[in-house]
Amino acid sequence: MSAARIRAALGPAAILLAITAGLAAANVGPATPWRHLYLVPVVLAGIRFGVAGGLVAALGAVLAFGPFVLREIEGHGPTWAAAEGIVTLVVLAVSGAAVGSLAARARRQRERYDTLRAVQRALADPAPLDRTAARLASVLTERLRVDVAGLVLDDGRVVVGADHVDPRSAAAYVVAHREPVFVIDAGTGSRARRVVVVPLTSTDGTVGALAVERLGDFSREERDALVGFGAALGLALDNARLAARQRRFAEELEQKVSQATARLGEMDRLKSDFVALASHELRTPLTALQGFSELLATRPFAPAEVRRLADIMRAEIERLGRIVSDFLDLARLERGLTPSIRRAVLDPVPLITAAVELFRRTRTSHRLELHVDGALPHVDADADALDRVLKNLIGNALKYSPPGSCVRVRARATEGVVAVDVEDEGPGIPPEERARIFEPYYRMRDTAALGHGTGLGLSVVKSLVEAHGGTVHAEAAPGTGTRMTVMLPALP
Amino acid sequence: MYAISDPWIPPTRGLLAGMPMPLLLVLGVLTATAGALAAAELVPLTPARAVGAGGAQGALLATAVTWARSGRRRRTTPLMAAILVFVGAVGATLSPFGVIAYLAAPVWLCLQRDRLPAFGLTRPPIGICAAGAALGALLGAHLLLTSSLTLGYGVRVPTTAHLISWLAYDAGANVLTTEAFFRGALLDRAQRRRPFAMSSALVTLLCLARYLVDPLLPHNLEVMAGAVFYLTLLSLANCWMYWRSGSIVPGIAAGVAFFACYRLLHVVS
Repeated sequence: MSAARIRAALGPAAILLAITAGLAAANVGPATPWRHLYLVPVVLAGIRFGVAGGLVAALGAVLAFGPFVLREIEGHGPTWAAAEGIVTLVVLAVSGAAVGSLAARARRQRERYDTLRAVQRALADPAPLDRTAARLASVLTERLRVDVAGLVLDDGRVVVGADHVDPRSAAAYVVAHREPVFVIDAGTGSRARRVVVVPLTSTDGTVGALAVERLGDFSREERDALVGFGAALGLALDNARLAARQRRFAEELEQKVSQATARLGEMDRLKSDFVALASHELRTPLTALQGFSELLATRPFAPAEVRRLADIMRAEIERLGRIVSDFLDLARLERGLTPSIRRAVLDPVPLITAAVELFRRTRTSHRLELHVDGALPHVDADADALDRVLKNLIGNALKYSPPGSCVRVRARATEGVVAVDVEDEGPGIPPEERARIFEPYYRMRDTAALGHGTGLGLSVVKSLVEAHGGTVHAEAAPGTGTRMTVMLPALP
Repeated sequence: MYAISDPWIPPTRGLLAGMPMPLLLVLGVLTATAGALAAAELVPLTPARAVGAGGAQGALLATAVTWARSGRRRRTTPLMAAILVFVGAVGATLSPFGVIAYLAAPVWLCLQRDRLPAFGLTRPPIGICAAGAALGALLGAHLLLTSSLTLGYGVRVPTTAHLISWLAYDAGANVLTTEAFFRGALLDRAQRRRPFAMSSALVTLLCLARYLVDPLLPHNLEVMAGAVFYLTLLSLANCWMYWRSGSIVPGIAAGVAFFACYRLLHVVS
């Protein structure tokens, strides 16, 4: 007991002693009107210390006043004065308990508001539910003055106070039936352990259960208060959940906006790079055409030389045409349209062979191998589009692999598709970039030195293949290099 | 935590279920017969009182032992408890040193402590034991003061033999059996079924009845009024101490101290 409480207890004790001394000195009987003075220390102690204080003060008053009553009974038998004295003893005992109880009730009411505030503070913490629940149980244990408080939340996934929920436990019953349970004895020790379990109710139903245990009584009033508290706690938990969901949503939104902003920034940079690259790509053949056309206009050449220059000019014009086609396809893609294709039933083998042969003739710095596994089924495809796809993939393989290395083209039929693999012995594509190489404008880092390009080729390939209902993907080739695989649906 | 991780099985047994009825019947018949024979002056009062007190107090202890061992190890017999109390009562009448036989019951209970986990023989905090003894002494002192100064009763100075005799009787029979039955058994059962206030009120009423019908209590008005007054306070305090500690030892300390003071009054036979 603290010094302050001892000092507070000394007041009623002193009053009690003074009254007794006064009554003894006056030598009065049990019916003296001064006996009512005993109510003063009893009421004071009840207000200050609750039921226990009221009862102790009442006990003191009864012990002090009792001898006056007993002496009357011994001296004169059961007189009216003795009866009045007995009534006074009863009144003192009842007053101590009643005043103490009322004072304790008022104190508990105030504590309940404090508890609700403490609970709301605990729930305001944006921690995960299990940590918040543990903190909540700790707050409740302290505030409700119980030995232990436990919580069952989120359909038994979050449990505080035990490691699991027994399906036959009082808490499981409360969650299932949405009604409070009062267990008068847990039967687990030499002292009776009271248990109260109340549902945590919200607007949507029961969100869990609150269980409290105490080696001591729970009055009816306390149990009713706990039921109300369960409802308040359920709503508070519901609100906390909504707030947490909103916080999470806001965080996700912020993250998405941040990612989108970064992506837009990168797109902007890629487009700027693309404009520079495209200008360069367009200028190169134009410069060649301008130079050769001026030569042809100003100088006489042998017919064979004229043919050679014309072949070069035609190749540059084809290159210009491819670049312009890529731009047009890109423009369609950015408008959300698929490339225009004219489908027809065709045999893919001649197309593949022609593309390989073309590169074999023009790019003698590499070895080009073609493997066709058996007879391939026909496909429903646009021959021009398929030709662009193959030339793009083979051209890339040649461009990014060292001179003297081998580029292998393999065509095969598998599980209802025609697959064409183009495999090179170049430096390969890092795994984290494989998904991005099909994005428009995207060029791998450190590839500028390996060859010219707009960064549109593979995105056009992807859109063309997907327009045919097929897929294209990149993977690491055995050893070093890259394997690009195009899969097109085969006709039955 | 019990409410979450243990199966919840609502109690179905009544407050007085599991009483050793055949034994109680025998002890009741024994006590009633002794009383009837003494009333008819067919046997001397002293042995009749010994048989009656031994039977009644043996019944209380036997019931407490039966309830404490209920559903657990059953080797500790209520019959043995009753016999030991009875032997103590009879032994005290046979020889001045026979009162030592009263101590057989508490010694036996101490030896059986592990087999009677629900008996309330757990070791309580020393503070609450001291509080129990102090409370008993306070009530006893108040009784002595009131009786001697205001009611005019004399206070006698006891001899050592008297003192030993009283203490042996109270510690081995009177207080032990009362605390074992009313606190360790009845209150323990009642508080596991009803609120503490209601349980302690019921137990106090029954405890008062036990003392008021005791033929050893002088049956005049002022003594009866004093008995009601002091025994009510003592019983309520003992209930509270049992409630706080889960042990009957503080109640025994309070009872022994109070009755030691009570027996100093000259009116007590």
